[in-house]
Amino acid sequence: MGIARRRVGRGLIFLVLCLVVVIMLFPFLFMVLTAFRSRDQYLTGQGFSLDSWRELFKFLPVVQELINSAVVTGGAVLLIIAVSTTGGFAFAKLGFRGSGFVFLGILAGMMIPMQSIIIPEFVNIARVLHLNNQYLGAILVYAALGAPFATYLMTTYYRGVPTELVEASVMDGASYWQVFRKVMLPLSIPAITTVAVLQFIQVWDDLLVGLLFLNEPHVRTITVGLAVIQTGRVVNVPALMAGSLLSALPAILVYLIFQRNLIQGLTMGVNK
Amino acid sequence: MTTSSPLAGAPATALPGRSRPRPGRLRAGQRRAGLAFALPVIVLEVLFLLIPIAQAAYFSFTRWDGITASWIGPANYQRLFGDPTFWRVMANNLLLLASVPLAILIPLLVAYLLNEHVPGWRFFRSAYFLPTAISWVVIGMVALRVFAREGLLNHLLDAVGLGFIHTDMLAGELSAMEAVAITFIWSVFGTNTIIFITGMATLDREVYEAARVDGAGAFTTFVKITIPMLMRFIQFAFILTLITAFTALFSLIFVMTGGGPGYGTTTLEFYVYQQGFQVGVFGYAAAIGIVLFAIVFAISLAQLRIFRSRLD
Repeated sequence: MGIARRRVGRGLIFLVLCLVVVIMLFPFLFMVLTAFRSRDQYLTGQGFSLDSWRELFKFLPVVQELINSAVVTGGAVLLIIAVSTTGGFAFAKLGFRGSGFVFLGILAGMMIPMQSIIIPEFVNIARVLHLNNQYLGAILVYAALGAPFATYLMTTYYRGVPTELVEASVMDGASYWQVFRKVMLPLSIPAITTVAVLQFIQVWDDLLVGLLFLNEPHVRTITVGLAVIQTGRVVNVPALMAGSLLSALPAILVYLIFQRNLIQGLTMGVNK
Repeated sequence: MTTSSPLAGAPATALPGRSRPRPGRLRAGQRRAGLAFALPVIVLEVLFLLIPIAQAAYFSFTRWDGITASWIGPANYQRLFGDPTFWRVMANNLLLLASVPLAILIPLLVAYLLNEHVPGWRFFRSAYFLPTAISWVVIGMVALRVFAREGLLNHLLDAVGLGFIHTDMLAGELSAMEAVAITFIWSVFGTNTIIFITGMATLDREVYEAARVDGAGAFTTFVKITIPMLMRFIQFAFILTLITAFTALFSLIFVMTGGGPGYGTTTLEFYVYQQGFQVGVFGYAAAIGIVLFAIVFAISLAQLRIFRSRLD
């Protein structure tokens, strides 16, 4: 009796979970199906074609935008990894006068919403540094926004590395740079991967920074290109869905490959 | 939270012995290296985060067009708090806030079911988490087609014989905000579910067995055991969702509604953008940004307090 009841219970749970999957995946299904329809086929809901892709490539410089996205995202992720690994090493293992205070200050950076600083940031980048519509401007802003959490993550990770490892290498005559390169970096590949995955998705998917700092078509990222087209007058739903699919694909791939790292990075805040 | 900084003031009077560095000398060298290694991240944060927030605070007391600024004292804030649109915008944020409990409760229930590990649960987990990888722009793009007058939602209602409900959610101010809120709940569902799953994995299964032996039903177990034991994770998810609601929906709103109809879906963060880059009143927009910062700061402090109280 009890077993039979549990069977029914588990069957019900399975059904509920299936229903949730439908709710969560249906929008993606819609996106994928619509991306392979012409406008007429979209209206009637019958048949498939590649029309929308031809349209997409006609009215959006998609290839250039994908390259722009790749350059900006790659640059920002590399810069974030560079400053968060060196910073994490310093805060976790070396220290300096007031390093605890400085570390807290950098953590506090996580509390600053992008929208609160976006106006002075825009004026600084555009009028003082003359870096608007250049990759470097957006890369610096993205890196500054992503680095606090990345530094927190790396510092926490490096704290788990035995201090004796560093001390022994230094006693053996290795410089701190050598210790960092030869000992710390190789040890922290998993944490670096987590940082890279989190930041890749963050930067690739962002709109606001790209919208303001890369607003000329030749430097626009795919996410910005898509959002700008959407708010325009052209309403070609299949082409928009094709663009959406194309822009989402790299992030989905990264997600599928590095799901574990993503989850680790996300739950880092509670488990520590 | 604090680092293990070497506080012992090592005098730099160590003799220059090459073969065996003495501890004091080592300390000093280590601290110099520490500063050098930390410098890149410090410079980056000071230049592109710290200085801008200080500028935002300063310029919020000026009339500013990006080139010249004139000091006007608290006039921007006076104008802001007397502006009915600002209060309209705050009301929209409140509406989003009201959806946060749902954005916690639904994932909590689903995580509880997922934790039963029925066949295929790994696939379910991956499917739920997928939207985390998708940009708000793409989500907004699809959501637009769900809630449109000739959209998927209405097709669905037609299909199940509820065609008379036929909604045009994006056309009304309140209903458009509800559409944004629903999309928001949908988007954070995966993240929160994962947080709760992680939390449940840390719970002792024996407690559940004991409860079952004592004759506790699934509901009782959920309310009396799961929720109290997951409090730490619930609080974390709550704060994360709250901050998302205040600071991460710009792209969604930009694509889905453009803040409209009217000011129907303009939230605080979107209002900063509108006033700054569409109206062009930089000082006023900076003041709005500072109000947003104050709110997020208060939420973060509350989080810190909860965290501290647990440590004591």
